Order: sequence, then structure tokens, then C-alpha cells
Amino acid sequence: MPKASTYKANSVIYFQGDVGDKIYILQSGTVSLNSNDIETGEEIHDHIKTGEFFGVKSALGKYPREENAVVLTDAAVVVFSVPEFEQLALSNTRIVMKMLKVFSNQLRRLHTKVSGLMQGGAQSNPEDGLFRIGEYYMRKKQYAQAVYAFNKYLTYYPSGRHQAEAARHAETAEQFAQKYGSGKGPAAPGFQGGSHGNGEADGGRAGGGATGGGGGGGQNLSDSAKAYYEAVSSFSREEFAKALEQFKQVAASGGDEEYVLKSTFEIGRCLFGLERYDAVIKHYTGLIQKFPKLPDLNEALFYLGRAYQESGDTARAASFFKKILSMEDVDEGLRRKVNKAVRALEGN
Amino acid sequence: MDMNLAAFERFAVHFQKGDLLFCEYEPGDAFYLIQKGRVQISKIMGDIEKTIDILQPGEIFGEMAILEEAPRSANAVALDDVKVLEFNRANFEVLMRGNPQIALKLLKLFTKRIYDQRRRFMILTLDDVHAKVADVFLMIDESQPSKDVGTGQRVFYTTPDDIGHWAGISPEKSREVLQHFVSQRRVEIYQDRIVVRNINDFARFVNSRRKR
Repeated sequence: MPKASTYKANSVIYFQGDVGDKIYILQSGTVSLNSNDIETGEEIHDHIKTGEFFGVKSALGKYPREENAVVLTDAAVVVFSVPEFEQLALSNTRIVMKMLKVFSNQLRRLHTKVSGLMQGGAQSNPEDGLFRIGEYYMRKKQYAQAVYAFNKYLTYYPSGRHQAEAARHAETAEQFAQKYGSGKGPAAPGFQGGSHGNGEADGGRAGGGATGGGGGGGQNLSDSAKAYYEAVSSFSREEFAKALEQFKQVAASGGDEEYVLKSTFEIGRCLFGLERYDAVIKHYTGLIQKFPKLPDLNEALFYLGRAYQESGDTARAASFFKKILSMEDVDEGLRRKVNKAVRALEGN
Repeated sequence: MDMNLAAFERFAVHFQKGDLLFCEYEPGDAFYLIQKGRVQISKIMGDIEKTIDILQPGEIFGEMAILEEAPRSANAVALDDVKVLEFNRANFEVLMRGNPQIALKLLKLFTKRIYDQRRRFMILTLDDVHAKVADVFLMIDESQPSKDVGTGQRVFYTTPDDIGHWAGISPEKSREVLQHFVSQRRVEIYQDRIVVRNINDFARFVNSRRKR
């Protein structure tokens, strides 16, 4: 049971540094929480209002009191143990909500101050930071994670300063993930020698057509590759019509076979972006018939499913999604996308 | 803890082993309650990914997002196949009203976060860079259960770069300061650890540098 207690003026309820497991509510009188400002050392006097809790943080968090609780005029308080306080909180959510607001404000203020003081070092802004996370995962050949980071980058900074690079890396990471799997294969172009001892032996044939001579990072790309990446970059800016034209050109160029095929595939994604769902269906159906062993078959099935879903044929959509999920080597990102689509279908 | 979470099934999200739930610097607008599997919280520092914490079912993470859409301060990776409940500011109040246990849990988490941030703030507000570095050791020492309080010697499995990070100084500066402590025979630096000869000596030193 919480118990009532009284304190005379000039007495102290608890001292800074005490370890206490009690939580108090002030019923009458005046209590001041005295402490020193961390930054300036200045004394702070924080007067408790009647009906207000004090001693909550240190008791709940089990750490030493941060202030002296000094009684200024005779005071009556109710004293709770931590379990008693929890009991009260569970039956009265309003109290907790109110405290959450107070605490989160304190936390936010502290957080701002701390990060302000940290900025002196080599802290990067969120945009660069996010891009660098992607680069880190590329170096470590953790392609699924790299794809995640670069795609997030492209989502939040669609015209950011690393946009073109991020789009290119995301694409490469996706390819490498499919071709070699996580942690395997040669280093991606531009990432050779990035982490020690990795991929030195096969550095020479890194990245399909794009043999970057160590750090060259895309300067020796073939013409098809260049055109392809330009199209990818349009696509990532969601300029689907432009990207569609660019991919069509690469596909019809008769150049590097790898990029011709990739571009043919991307045409479908552009059509999807343009919401031309009939065309998506036609494109991928044709492609699958022509190349039954299409490397990106799963992805093609996904867009077929989505296109049917968007055009209202939920039965067909569901059957495509089911098919993808029944297949063995579906990469995690795609599986998640499919699951999400399935949930959306079921939600309808 | 008996929590009635059946009503929150519609907030469930599944991740596969190895998936990123979010990564550092990404704007965050949701926080998570783990229902199944473990989640690793990590931070990329230079060329390594450092594990900060491994969270179990029942634990909450990403809670800073309910304050504001600040960038995430770490990566969250699924260590197993993971099921989480995902909450944002919109459904947060509903959750809290329906489930005061989670509200209480969050409240406790905030008290811990406030304490940790205050502690870091105390380090960063010291003017003397040597005191900053010494105080980082004190902070780590406070958080690890003391093995042998009898002697003042403490072993820290950390690196000069990490110490520098906590002290808010460059790795170069951190190494320079530590070297100075080595020359005073207050510290020994090894490949995988740093030994502080007398932690009480550090405590006195830091206190003498605090503004009061």
C-alpha cells in the first residue's frame, strides 16, 4: 500500500547520489529539486507542483537520484514502491501517457545537445551516411543489405547528390546477389580492394561487361552498359517514359548481349511505372515464352501478378504470387514484396 | 508479462533471417515490439559492423521514432526469422490505451535512455580532453558489473577509436591522449583491450575537472 508521509520545512526527502526505489506524489507544501546544470554547473531549482510525481526516473531506471529533494515548507507526500507505482500506472494509462510525453521531451532535448557536441567529429549528414552504409555492405558483399540501403537512399533522396551512383550500385548489388549470392563472387566494380583480401584473385573479371580497372568506377563501361545505366538512373528518378525510351534503344541496339537482355526486362518495369498494365502483361508473357529460363523469371512473375492485381484480376494475381512463393530460389527482397502484395490482396 | 496482443495482429510484420529492418540514417517513423526471433542492433564504424545489442522477443526498439522522424541511429538486423509489431505515431495512442503494459515498458526504456544520454552529455561537456577520455572509461565501468572492486584495475575490451567516438573526438586525438596516459603509466594498450591501472584515480581526476 502506498503510504502518506510528512516532512518538515528544510528537511531533505532524498539526496543526489542516493539509490532509492521510492516514487513520490506531492500532496501539499513545497518541494524543490535542486541540481547543477551539466553544461554550466549553474544551480537549478525545480519546484514540484501539487499533485506532481517526483523521483520517478531514478526509481524506475534503478539509478542514483540526480537531485536533492529539499522541502521548502512543510509537505505531505504519498510514497509508492516501484511495484505499487506500476499497479497504479496499469490502471491509469493517462498518467503513463503524460509521463511519456515529459520523458520524451527531455530525451529529445538531451539528444539534440549530445548530437550537437558530437558534430565536431567526423559525423556525416544523413544523406551521405545512408549512402555510405550501402557502400559498406557492397564492400562486404552483403548484397541484400546493400540493395536495401541504396533503395532507401533513392526513396528519400530521389535527386540526391549520390543518386546516379546509388542507382548503379543498387542494380549491381541485385545482380551480384542473384549471380553469386551473399558474401560470394568477385568484388563489385568500384569496390575492388575495398576490404582486405577479398576478391583479389578474380578482380580482373569483376562485374560482367563493366571491367573497372580498380577504382575507375564506370569509366571503362561499354556503350551499351553506359546507355543502360543512364536508363536505370532515369527509372530511379521515376521518369518512366524517358527510361522506357532509353531501355528500348539499348534493347534494339544489338550491342552487349547482357545489357540488351537486362534492358528488355526493364521495359516491363517502366510500363508498370507508367501504369500501362495491359502492356506489362503482354511484355512479360512474351518474354517468358521467348526465354523460359529467364534469369529474372521470378521478378517477371511478380510484375505480371502486380499488373493483374492493378487491373482488378485478383484471382490471376493471387495465382502468380502463389507460384513465386512456391519456388525455391526466391531472393528475400522479392519474397517480402510478394508477401506484401498478397496481404494487400487479402485486405481487399 | 501477460499482454493481450491478439488485437494488434494487423500490425505484424515478418522479416527473414538477415533482413534489415532499418538502417542507420534512414528516417524513422515506426517503432517495434519483437514477438518472435532476435534482432541485432549494430552500427557501422569504419570498416566493421559493431554489435551494440541483441534484442529478444518482448523487447522494444526504434522507440525514438515516436518523438520525431529523426534518422535512425543504428541498424536493426533480423538474426532469425523475425515477427514484430510495427507502431507509428498514428496507432501509438490506441496501442497504449489498449495495452498499458507496453506503455509502462516504454516508460522504463525512456528512463534508461535519458540516463544514458545524460551520462554521455556529462562526458561531452568536460573541457579537458584527457578528462573526457578518462570519463569514457568511467562510464563503461559503471555499466559493466564490477568483477573485483577491491583493486582499481579494470580491463576494457575496446579500442582507442571507440573511446574516441564516445568522447566525441577524432580517433587520432583519442590515440594521442591514450598514449599520454600510457606514458604516465595509468593505462596499458593491447591489441584487443585497454587496461586502466586505477579506475579510482580516473574518477578523482574527472571530478576535479567537472564544473561545480
